[in-house]
Amino acid sequence: MNYFKKILSINNKKDIPSNVKPEKAREIHLNTLTFEALKEEITKTFGSTADLQSDIFRFGKSEGCIYYLETVVNTEMLKEMLGSTLQNSDEEISVNTVEDLHRLSKKSFGVSGYKLIDCVKDMVTSILEGRIVIVFRGVSQALSLSYINSEGRSVTEPTTQTVVRGPKDSFVEDVSTNINLVRKRIKNQNLRFEKYEIGNETRTSVYMGYMNGIVNEKILEETRIRLKDINISAIFESANVEELIVDKSLTVFPLALNTERPDAVATYMLEGKIAIIIDGSPFVLVVPAVLTDFFTSPEDNYQNYFMSSFVRLIRYISFMIGLIMPSAYVGVLTFHPELLPTTLLLSVIAQREDVPFPAVVEVLLMEITFEILREAGVRMPRAVGQTVSIVGALVIGQAAAEAGIISNIMVIIVAITAIANFVFPNYAFANASRLIRFVLIIVASILGLYGVLLVLVFMVAHLSSLRSFGVPYLAPVAPFIIEDQKDVFIRAPIWSMNKRPSYLSPNISQKQKAQGSPSPPKVEGEGKKK
Amino acid sequence: MLTEKLSLTQIFTLIINFLLGSSVVIGIGMEAKQDAWIVVLISMFLGLIIMSFYFYLMSLHPGKTLYEIFEYCFSRKIAIVFTLIYSIYFLYLSCRVIRDFGELISIAILPVTPIEFTILSLMMVIGYILYLGIEVLGRTSEIFTPYTFVFILLLLLLLYGGERINLNNIQPIFVEKKLIVDSIPSILAFPYGELVAFTVVLANVTNFKMSRRICLISVAIASIILMAAVFLIVACLGENTALRTNFPLLSAARLVSIGEFLERIDALVVYVMMLGILIKSSVFLYGSLKGLEYIFKLPFRYFAMPLACITTLFSIFISVDFSDHLIEGLHVVIFLLHIPLDYGIPIFITFVVLLKKWRHDRKGLTGVKV
Repeated sequence: MNYFKKILSINNKKDIPSNVKPEKAREIHLNTLTFEALKEEITKTFGSTADLQSDIFRFGKSEGCIYYLETVVNTEMLKEMLGSTLQNSDEEISVNTVEDLHRLSKKSFGVSGYKLIDCVKDMVTSILEGRIVIVFRGVSQALSLSYINSEGRSVTEPTTQTVVRGPKDSFVEDVSTNINLVRKRIKNQNLRFEKYEIGNETRTSVYMGYMNGIVNEKILEETRIRLKDINISAIFESANVEELIVDKSLTVFPLALNTERPDAVATYMLEGKIAIIIDGSPFVLVVPAVLTDFFTSPEDNYQNYFMSSFVRLIRYISFMIGLIMPSAYVGVLTFHPELLPTTLLLSVIAQREDVPFPAVVEVLLMEITFEILREAGVRMPRAVGQTVSIVGALVIGQAAAEAGIISNIMVIIVAITAIANFVFPNYAFANASRLIRFVLIIVASILGLYGVLLVLVFMVAHLSSLRSFGVPYLAPVAPFIIEDQKDVFIRAPIWSMNKRPSYLSPNISQKQKAQGSPSPPKVEGEGKKK
Repeated sequence: MLTEKLSLTQIFTLIINFLLGSSVVIGIGMEAKQDAWIVVLISMFLGLIIMSFYFYLMSLHPGKTLYEIFEYCFSRKIAIVFTLIYSIYFLYLSCRVIRDFGELISIAILPVTPIEFTILSLMMVIGYILYLGIEVLGRTSEIFTPYTFVFILLLLLLLYGGERINLNNIQPIFVEKKLIVDSIPSILAFPYGELVAFTVVLANVTNFKMSRRICLISVAIASIILMAAVFLIVACLGENTALRTNFPLLSAARLVSIGEFLERIDALVVYVMMLGILIKSSVFLYGSLKGLEYIFKLPFRYFAMPLACITTLFSIFISVDFSDHLIEGLHVVIFLLHIPLDYGIPIFITFVVLLKKWRHDRKGLTGVKV
């Protein structure tokens, strides 16, 4: 017994005692510390990090110290600033009091966004944000200047949500660039952004953007509360935030929309939705999201509306195909072969003659193989891309059928399922249907098409119980709202869509004055004939 | 907690599916032979009257369920007795409806799968839906109902296009009047009398005033669909076969064959039936759950899954085989349960409510005078 306890106790061991503890910036007011003591305090807080610079310099008659992280600060600009402002000053000037500091900062850094700090904790935060902090001897306030090195990817074409016609820019990792992309599209003083810092360790800046006056106040307040309530050590992607703020996490369906297209974000914001932009992620969250949003692409608004409506129907159909095609195959072959026309049934049976497995094993085998291929396609290094595609096409497609492991019709079914799954404008929703497909296959092997229908009813019941920030997920289909049908299964012409979706209950529901279709100019004399 | 509300479209689809429910599975008014569709037509008007009666009962106390009206009439103790009776009645009806469908599945679709398993799987879905609440039931029915309309229309078109409709089968019209009159009472009990379950559901409607019109329209539309179904059955199969088959509409659908490609579309009919059964059974079970909620003063969600399991069990136990089940349903239950519980007690309750209101009003008047 003791022996077991010993074995078990290995895992239960407390943390190895160590005298290395994470440093915390202390809330000490600057006027309680001397110039040297402050320097010691800062160096102690940052420890042995190599990139902290704390240089003492002379400024006129007085002495100052400049703190910054050289890896985060734009050193070129810093050098320029130091050269122009500090060294060119005359010998007479001195900074000995808070008033002197105020005067200096107003005179020299008036437009560059300076901050005055009087606490060690704020100093540390400032340094971490990539600002530089200047402290003068005998002055109880510090000057913080922004010289952030904002190097990053430049704006490129979107990689996941491409369009044929439409804007070709996409969000990048840098949050200010992203906000700039949205601001460029909506030149309106009502476009507001609120800043949050999320992540106890990472302190990532998160911006919540909305159109003031359009967005519903309740939804806005709810989003605010949820963002404030986040208590997590780190976030790196908008997906992290999404998981923390959605209404229900026990679901495979995405309850917040993510997009990397600024035009899509602008469109949604003008409808009365809220965008959440996270620093370091090119994917912007849009809430509240309803199911039909995942079937719309920004391009629907950029092409002929007949075509858009047709394409939308294709998307819904391909959703169903991607969902039930393999399970229907299993169900029909196992339980209801009489549903197939006789000639088709004969050819299917003839093909399956050599296949040693029951239909469900065949389908699962192929579907899992396909999922493996797909995952390999995403993760593999670009250099081996060709190998995977050759192996995939040859082995899975042809050789497997020739070897008699699977039937030819199975290859067709896996292929159409896969292609149908790629139709979605939004990747997150495609993933949901991938998971449900496997449930359907297994149930179809037990209960046939009856089981498939049962799972679909189950799925719809689950979907209708979901809410995204209080908005029913299936709106405007269930509950059925007739005014909102102009932009659901079909897209009405853009001049006829005068109202914002009413399920979002926007403050101002009218988009613009109601107007008719554009028409050619009236020919003179035609009206006079009567 | 959010109060659950049903929109008008949802109540509309619920009533339609409820009436189609098992009636479309086993067929109604078949005793009247070739005039079965006339029976349905006549009973449609009776159905409208019945629905307006239930609605009148509800409108005496808008927003209150039948059980709360019991409490208004009597003390809570007596109300509990009545509630228990209705709760068990609804549970029993739910069992019957599910059994209808279980038999259909095990005879026509999955002959090898044990009926217990098919019923259990369906009940699990129903239990889940009811656990999520009546709102979810309404939305689910809202999403699936359009397909019901499309499929019935398609069936009509395909049977017509395949030249399967033989109008000679429904002639002579209106000859055996005695048969027509005889078969009307059973229709009044099933399916129209069963609308009593909506005295529980209607308490959750958003727009109570408008819902009266919606309820009547939906009863009319459902009756017209039923009439079309019965008409199709008799016209395609002939009165003899129609009376003998267990699932007449399914047999009619199996006749469809167009160009040797469009055949065996009975899956569509099974879909219509399944949706109807799902809604009907859920509404009954909801009525039962609400009764338990009233008795035990616990949220009805607690009972959803256990009661779904009990329904599964008793749907197997209530009868030995399908013929036993049908005889019990068409000859015993009607007089023993349907007539007193669908009409007897509600009419009695209405009188009590009116009496109480009248006395209350008089008291109020005298009170003002003093």
